[in-house]
Parts: sequence; structure tokens; C-alpha cells
Amino acid sequence: MGRVITVTSGKGGVGKTTTTANLGTALAMRGARVAVVDADIGLRNLDVVMGLENRIVYDLVDVVEGRARLRQALIKDKRLPELCLLPAAQTRDKDAVTAQQMIDLTNLLRAEFDYVLIDSPAGIEAGFRNAIAGADEVIIVTTPEVSAVRDADRIVGLVEAAEKGPAVLVINRIKPRLVSRGEMLSVEDVLELLAISLLGIVPEDETIVIATNRGEAVVYDPNSLAGRAYINIAQRLAGEDVPVMAIPDQQGMLDRLLGLFGRRRT
Amino acid sequence: MSDLISIKGSRDGLRLRLDANAAWQDLLSRLDQHLSERRSFFHGASLVIDLGEREVSPAQLDEMLALIRQHGVQATAVDSSERTTRAAARSAGLTTRPLPRYTEPVAAVESEALLVIRTLRSGQVLRHTGHITLIGDVNPGAEIIAGGSVVVWGRLRGMVHAGALGDSNAIICALELTPTQLRIAELIARAPERHEVRRPEFARVVAGEIVVDGWEAFKR
Repeated sequence: MGRVITVTSGKGGVGKTTTTANLGTALAMRGARVAVVDADIGLRNLDVVMGLENRIVYDLVDVVEGRARLRQALIKDKRLPELCLLPAAQTRDKDAVTAQQMIDLTNLLRAEFDYVLIDSPAGIEAGFRNAIAGADEVIIVTTPEVSAVRDADRIVGLVEAAEKGPAVLVINRIKPRLVSRGEMLSVEDVLELLAISLLGIVPEDETIVIATNRGEAVVYDPNSLAGRAYINIAQRLAGEDVPVMAIPDQQGMLDRLLGLFGRRRT
Repeated sequence: MSDLISIKGSRDGLRLRLDANAAWQDLLSRLDQHLSERRSFFHGASLVIDLGEREVSPAQLDEMLALIRQHGVQATAVDSSERTTRAAARSAGLTTRPLPRYTEPVAAVESEALLVIRTLRSGQVLRHTGHITLIGDVNPGAEIIAGGSVVVWGRLRGMVHAGALGDSNAIICALELTPTQLRIAELIARAPERHEVRRPEFARVVAGEIVVDGWEAFKR
């Protein structure tokens, strides 16, 4: 039986969809059978990020309402035969699905795949509740910004209340230079407030923007720092005992020089 | 507090008890007065209504529910020993629990102080008529509302209202007192912009103002 893992955040635009797509791809690259499910009904974009938009025939709502079998709606990834996408419906809204229907759907998927990753919509309403209804585990994505962390805290509480916890955390878009200047929340600041365990961190990286706009996962790019970060997270998710990837300070030379003269602040 | 009605906090939350014999209209007007005098405590609260042995018609119950709703209060359940009363509550969409008949009022376990061990996160509210001790952090966006004093054995970064039923002698203390806002009785204070303070502190009312001091300064 596979693991059903929901990726959620509360705040929009922190990287849920990118995280779902890249974690799914990274897990499939390890040979696991992976289904990624877009639960953002009415505002789908997991298919776009994965470059599979033009292959959609049936969607999640078609399956739930019995117009299509699960097999018909699942779309195979362009490169990895072990990776499948179940797209959201674009012409419906969150009320098109109930929590019980999501639980039934995840049970079907659990039987066929090792990992079922569900991309949750932003917010705390019905869409979010549906997205966690069938989950065994929850990953909360946040960025090191006060507003995103505040929303993540709210989500941690709701996940606990729904007895899906304890959730684990991915901190996305860390800018090491800002952190070292004390102008951005550090990983430690975020963890001190949220008090949940850290699954991994992802640096701000323009290769993400380029790959996402092309509809490709960034984990294929061996030179991408963010891609390596997602592979690290997938390893940890799979239970490998590897440390959270450290992010090199991109200030580089100057910092190292200053370091030589012992001027670096701690 | 009037004898006709009482609202007490317990581990299950707030409980509204109504006198079994007084006229219904008298009860409602007392209730109206009680809630409006303690608006800052009750707004947003939910409570269990204990109607005892009184027979209450659906129309009467609707009237009461509408009244408490006006004060921003929600009923979660109705306890009653009368079947007709429970039926009225069910038709109003509330859960009901039967009460045993003819029970001597057992010294109810209504702790004056409430001890809670957890992290209070954004959007979560802890509300109690007595004192509250929380072992854990109060994160930004979380709220504690107490009739008495509040002790936070942890970081207080959210909002705390002590003495919310009007007691200006209530105090608030925390290992790290960096709240978004503090309220004691009718007074409101915003936390000053300051650097991190790494010592326990407490807040109390001095000459009509909320004053924060280091723990060593605590003298009664």
C-alpha cells in the first residue's frame, strides 16, 4: 500500500505546485511508482508545470462522478513511465467533490502507487479540507516570510485538529545572502515558531522559473541547486538517513575573503 | 452575577445554566444584560446551554438562540432532563445530552484555573472564565481570553486578554513577553518596538495603564 501525502501551505504562491511536481518526479526517478493529484479544482496548474496540459482528456471530477475510470484519467509523464498525473477539472469549482469522494479516490490510488502526492489549493476552506481528507501525511510548504509562516502556523493547527499530524515542513525560496545579513527569517527562526520537524529547504533559484515555464521538472538539471534540494527532500521522504541539504552562500568570494579577515558576523 | 443565570468555564468549555423556575422573559432579559456587560469576553465564544428540568418550546429556544447570536455567541449543545426540551434543541440543529433527573447539584468540577499544555497556533483561541496557565507558546494570531490572570510558560507572541470579565487586578506573565497586543479588563496595550528580551516579565494595571516589568519587580 502506498503513502498518500498532501502538499499544502495556507498562503498561495509559496511553491506547493512546484514542490509537488518536483518531489513526484524525484521519487519516480528513484524507481517508485508515483501519482501526483491536482486537487486545486477550478484553478489547475500542476499539469502546466509538468508540461502535460495538452494530454488531458478526463480529470479528477470525471472520475469522481463516474464518467471515466481512474486508468483513463491518469496521464503518463513525458519521460518517466512510473509517474502519472491526475489533473483537476478546470471548469468546475471546489464544491464539485466531497471529502468522502476524495478518501475513496485516494484509496484507489494507494493500491496502485507507492506514493500519491496531492497538490492542495491555497486557503483553509473546502478545497484544503478535501485535499487532506485522504492523506496519511502532510507536507507544509512555506517561504521565510512573516505572512507565509503565519499561515503555515494556522495550517499546522488545522492539520493537528484533523488528526493528520504531525506535519513536516519544507522551507522554500531561501535567499542565503538576505539571511546572513539578518534581513530574512532564517531556517531557525521559522522552526522556532512552527515547532514541527524540517523535511528540507529549497534555495531561491532562477533555474526553477526557467524549468517551470518550460513545463519541465528542475530535478533533471544536475546543475540546479533547487533541483538538488528537491532530490534531497525526496531521499528524506523515502526514509533515507541523509542530512538536510546545506545551501552554499552565493555571495561567494567576497564573503570568503571577509571570512579570512575574521570579519564575518555570526 | 444574577442567580437566574450563571456562566462557568470548565474543561469542556463554557456552560450556561438557567434557573429552572423563573419566567422565561426574565431569564432572557438577564441573559441579554449579562452578555452585553461582558461583551469583550463573550464575543466569538461558544457555549453549552444547561436547561435543567425546564420544558422549553421550539419557539422559546429559537428566541434565546437568536438573542445569544446577537452577542456573537454560538450554542454548541443543549443539556436537559426534559424530552420536549431536547426535541426542541434537536429541531434547532443542536446536539443534545440528557441530564439525570433529581440530581443534587454535585459540587461541580469547575476548576477556577485551567492548565493547558500545548502550542497555541494562529487562529486558535483559548477561553476560560477563571485563570489560565499555558505551558507552551502562544504564536502570533492566537488568542487567550481569561476572566482571571494568564500565565504563559513559553513565548507569548499572540494576543492575551486577562480580566476579560472586568477584573483589572488580573495580570499576565510569560517567559518571553513579546505579544502583538495585551488587554487587561478594558485596557489595551500594543507591545512596544524593542529588542528581544530574554527574561520572564509580567504585565499589570498601574494607575489606569498596562505596565510591563521584569519578573524581579513583582510585588503585590
